[in-house]
Amino acid sequence: MNLEPTYQHFGENGVLINWSSKIDSLINDEVLNMDRLISKTFESRIIELVPSYQSLAVYLKEGESASNFIQLLKELPVSETIESQNTKRLLTIPVCYDLQYALDIEALALANKITVKKVIELHTRETYKVYFLGFLPGFPYLGGLNKSLSTPRKSTPRQNIEKGSVAIGGGQTGVYTVDSPGGWNVIGKSPIDFFSTESRFRCLLKAGDLVRFHSISTKTYKRIKTEVVAGTFKVEKEAYYD
Amino acid sequence: MIEVVSGGLYTSMQDLGRYGYRRYGVPLSGAMDSYSARLANQLIGNFEGEAVMEITHIGPVLRFKNSTEIAITGAGFVPTLNDVEVSLNTRTYVPKDGILKFGLPGYGLRAYLSVLGGFNSEKKLGSYSQYFGITKKETIEKGDSFVLKPHKGKPHTATASFKVSKNHFSSNSIDVFAGPEFRLVSKSIQKKILETELTIGSESNRMAYILKGWNGVSAQEIITAPVQPGTVQLTPSGQCLVLMRDAQTTGGYARILQLTESSINSISQKRAGTVLHFKLIDYPS
Repeated sequence: MNLEPTYQHFGENGVLINWSSKIDSLINDEVLNMDRLISKTFESRIIELVPSYQSLAVYLKEGESASNFIQLLKELPVSETIESQNTKRLLTIPVCYDLQYALDIEALALANKITVKKVIELHTRETYKVYFLGFLPGFPYLGGLNKSLSTPRKSTPRQNIEKGSVAIGGGQTGVYTVDSPGGWNVIGKSPIDFFSTESRFRCLLKAGDLVRFHSISTKTYKRIKTEVVAGTFKVEKEAYYD
Repeated sequence: MIEVVSGGLYTSMQDLGRYGYRRYGVPLSGAMDSYSARLANQLIGNFEGEAVMEITHIGPVLRFKNSTEIAITGAGFVPTLNDVEVSLNTRTYVPKDGILKFGLPGYGLRAYLSVLGGFNSEKKLGSYSQYFGITKKETIEKGDSFVLKPHKGKPHTATASFKVSKNHFSSNSIDVFAGPEFRLVSKSIQKKILETELTIGSESNRMAYILKGWNGVSAQEIITAPVQPGTVQLTPSGQCLVLMRDAQTTGGYARILQLTESSINSISQKRAGTVLHFKLIDYPS
């Protein structure tokens, strides 16, 4: 697989770095490595970086020349770009798949010709990778959905999907981190906070994280919710080695 | 303190944007016409990134509980202070209990109001820009009030004023760079994109402008990738979206063109129904 990126201008103060046009965890690892390398090497020249599946946007400070920056990127030692971070975080996200929260789980099970129990089993069995955040504040683009759960988006999007809702849209699964209109099929709800600016900035997930969903009862959902409000709930995080 | 007597059509607090949080999916936001917003602060002697009130099409009515100085830039409103006309692009003294009205603009769409010292508005993630889910309020409404920050400058001394080129409002030629997917569409589609006159749709807002007029032009979806204000997206059904300041940080439509910063400011002043065309320019080598 060719992991050599290409570089192009992206607006007056932007540079876009592109890898092969496919959704692939190894390619995304390269994006995230380059993301770390650039923010470390060129801290004084950049405002921020936005990684995605196979592409990385670098937004430069006013007055920086994008052409010069592209040249600098091309001269980066190759050995540094392949320096990889092999320790990842694995987060366990509690999800209540009870029908009162799982608005579309019965329809989704029916469409995929499996039982609701099987939907939950397949959804909680996989380990998902957070490729990047986008669409909504804190929203994770997760890779790794079991193909038997792949379900087209709803033809009429809902006006509002409550934050914490766990959903499936096409071949992707994700969590609505803030209230939002949306067309994904809701299969459960997590009581934890994924994104907040209330007292301070908190964003639970970051690109490169690994995520597992853990099925909880309505009773546990309510207990965790109380703990989240009280600020005493801690999401289970562990180091994960590739 | 300033009290909002009436909020107008769509009035919000903005600065030059919420930088540093786009990797978390937080939109950049900020003044649609950053040129006029900067000018409003410069005229008053404020830091250029102070909060300004962005006023859209139908202006608000404001009551000043303290005397201060203001500057109004951008669209051609004919604002009045205690029923006396106020000039644009200059500093104006406002007495205690002054009532400022905006009415409707004769040209352009968005005006910017700065006050001496700046508005002490809610600041979240390093920015005053109001955005749903980030700040408590997403627009300025009747009943809102804003405390003014203390200022260090001497009030009412300078008579700075500035002549803004009418071109900023009237030019219908929008400078664009080729977008990441421009070379991936056929030459005939590229030609059509650059030669067709486009009309601004009425659904246009701070998130995106919708342009109409491309026929028989479309592009396949891409793997979701970064977008920014000024990115022109072409959808599989042939819709043309110009992403504006409140746009998402990533998107899945082909990024066919990219507006210059100055073009974003210029298009921000154009109303629904305005006809424009794109003019391709090269990136500096």
